[in-house]
Amino acid sequence: MPPSTDPFYAGLGQAVRIGTELLAALIVGGGLGWLADTYLFASAPWGLVTGLALGAVSGVLNAYRAAQRWK
Amino acid sequence: MDNPLHPFELHPFGQLSLFGLDISLNQAVIMMWVVVAVVAGLLIVAGTSKRLVPTKFQSLAELLVDFIRGMILETMGKDGMRFFPFLATLFLFILFCNLLGLIPGLYTVTSQIVVTAAFALFVYGMSVVVGLARHGVKFLGILIPPGTPLWLLPLMMPIELISQLARPLSLAVRLFANMTAGHTVLAVLFGMALSLPLLIAWLPFAFTIAINGLEVIIAFIQAYIFTILTCVYLGDAMHLHGQDEHAH
Repeated sequence: MPPSTDPFYAGLGQAVRIGTELLAALIVGGGLGWLADTYLFASAPWGLVTGLALGAVSGVLNAYRAAQRWK
Repeated sequence: MDNPLHPFELHPFGQLSLFGLDISLNQAVIMMWVVVAVVAGLLIVAGTSKRLVPTKFQSLAELLVDFIRGMILETMGKDGMRFFPFLATLFLFILFCNLLGLIPGLYTVTSQIVVTAAFALFVYGMSVVVGLARHGVKFLGILIPPGTPLWLLPLMMPIELISQLARPLSLAVRLFANMTAGHTVLAVLFGMALSLPLLIAWLPFAFTIAINGLEVIIAFIQAYIFTILTCVYLGDAMHLHGQDEHAH
């Protein structure tokens, strides 16, 4: 069992985590934007564009926070 | 040669339905039962002998309990211990799904996104409920990072909302993608080993063995990450913005 204190496993866990952190926020942001475009306002493509931008920002923020937690 | 994604296909054994719902059994369902039986069996065997000098199983179980306890204390503090049974179950179930899936011929339940997504949504929903029960409407303050100037609020709130909604997605996708990708790589390499002439077939075969070893580590890491992120999310809901929090 990898103990949580072992730097190798802690580092590997971190590496596995941050990639998805970036991606997930981008998908959620883009998805919300697309939903707003399609069902709420007929504003295509601006909802998607704004959503992707916000998602990217939020992904970087998430990755930054994930990196901060285990410094 | 077989499709490398073939091992992920589910084939129901016969048709079963209950009030029009399809409840036919397939490999994944059976495999979950097996996992539950294995975990429960191991822990029951480990728990029967409460000796001062532990037996092999008992010391394994003690190690496990200590590991999960450390994880909780590290991220949530003492009052997080009430979630111990839930988190231990979650960790053990995911860990054994990952590990037993590595045995050739057995199905990897965690390579189905519907399973991981169900876990992730449940965990996230639980953190929201815990937060609302504990802080009431003030829980919505989780959308406002501390120290935000007023004029930045219209920008920060959507960003925080997206970052919150990304949590269940990243939980679900991470576990699912890692298990699926790992098993696909194994299938591709082993397919090469089967189809190549013996002179070079040993090379992909050696890689299959090496990557199987790596997958064992990945199985631990993924179960660990899933559980510790559950702890982190529950901890965030319990201590808004680190108020009344212990030192990290």
